[in-house]
Amino acid sequence: MVKFLKPNKAVIVLQGRYAGRKAVIIKSFDEGTRDRPYGQCLVAGIKKYPSKVIKKDSAKKTAKKSRVKCFIKLVNYQHLMPTRYTLDVDLKDVVSVDALQSKEKKVAAAKETKARFEERFKTGKNRWFFTKLRF
Amino acid sequence: MVAAKKTKKTHESINNRLALVMKSGRYTLGYKTVLKSLRNSKGKLVIIANNCPPLRKSEIEYYAMLAKVGVHHYNGNNVDLGTACGKYFRVCCLSIIDPGDSDIIKSMPSDH
Repeated sequence: MVKFLKPNKAVIVLQGRYAGRKAVIIKSFDEGTRDRPYGQCLVAGIKKYPSKVIKKDSAKKTAKKSRVKCFIKLVNYQHLMPTRYTLDVDLKDVVSVDALQSKEKKVAAAKETKARFEERFKTGKNRWFFTKLRF
Repeated sequence: MVAAKKTKKTHESINNRLALVMKSGRYTLGYKTVLKSLRNSKGKLVIIANNCPPLRKSEIEYYAMLAKVGVHHYNGNNVDLGTACGKYFRVCCLSIIDPGDSDIIKSMPSDH
């Protein structure tokens, strides 16, 4: 009876090219839109997870290993598995539905989310979100 | 022995309450619609048959945990649950959206 598909919820994408990847809900459209008449949400997820960083690594190596590749997508609710985790990253100003309209806007939005994800990974918080789901 | 007797009586009462919901309330039957009702926070109680596959059972329980909705594990398989709903098909899981005249939601969570 509590709505749980809200912004900042961590979810797992179940279908499509990004199946098995973790993502965070940025905006949810419960009623859908006119051209997509189903419940959906705009998610920003991780395309390529950062590698494991060990203490022995040099600064250059940690920088290389901490890189995250992102994707932004509108996903049907049915193709998501919600989790109990949340990720408080403010991406509302960067990612929006009109960012998906053209290629350059999408690339710019993905670059900005990549930067925000990477700085969140480096702080060591939300460790679950940045580990690959094993299946 | 006392426990067995007690479950038989409460089992009948669940069936009675379920029949009342079927008559006067709103409900959905089936896995897909149960998840839909949990996602849009319309479901108030979820009932799962005992021969539901364990992965599906734990998925429904997880969704219900997120939505803070009670789950009742019905004491019978999907054939029995279908019969209890007055249907001629098997029902593995169902979601009660509006209990109507029944008090199933007020009485069940204490039972489970």
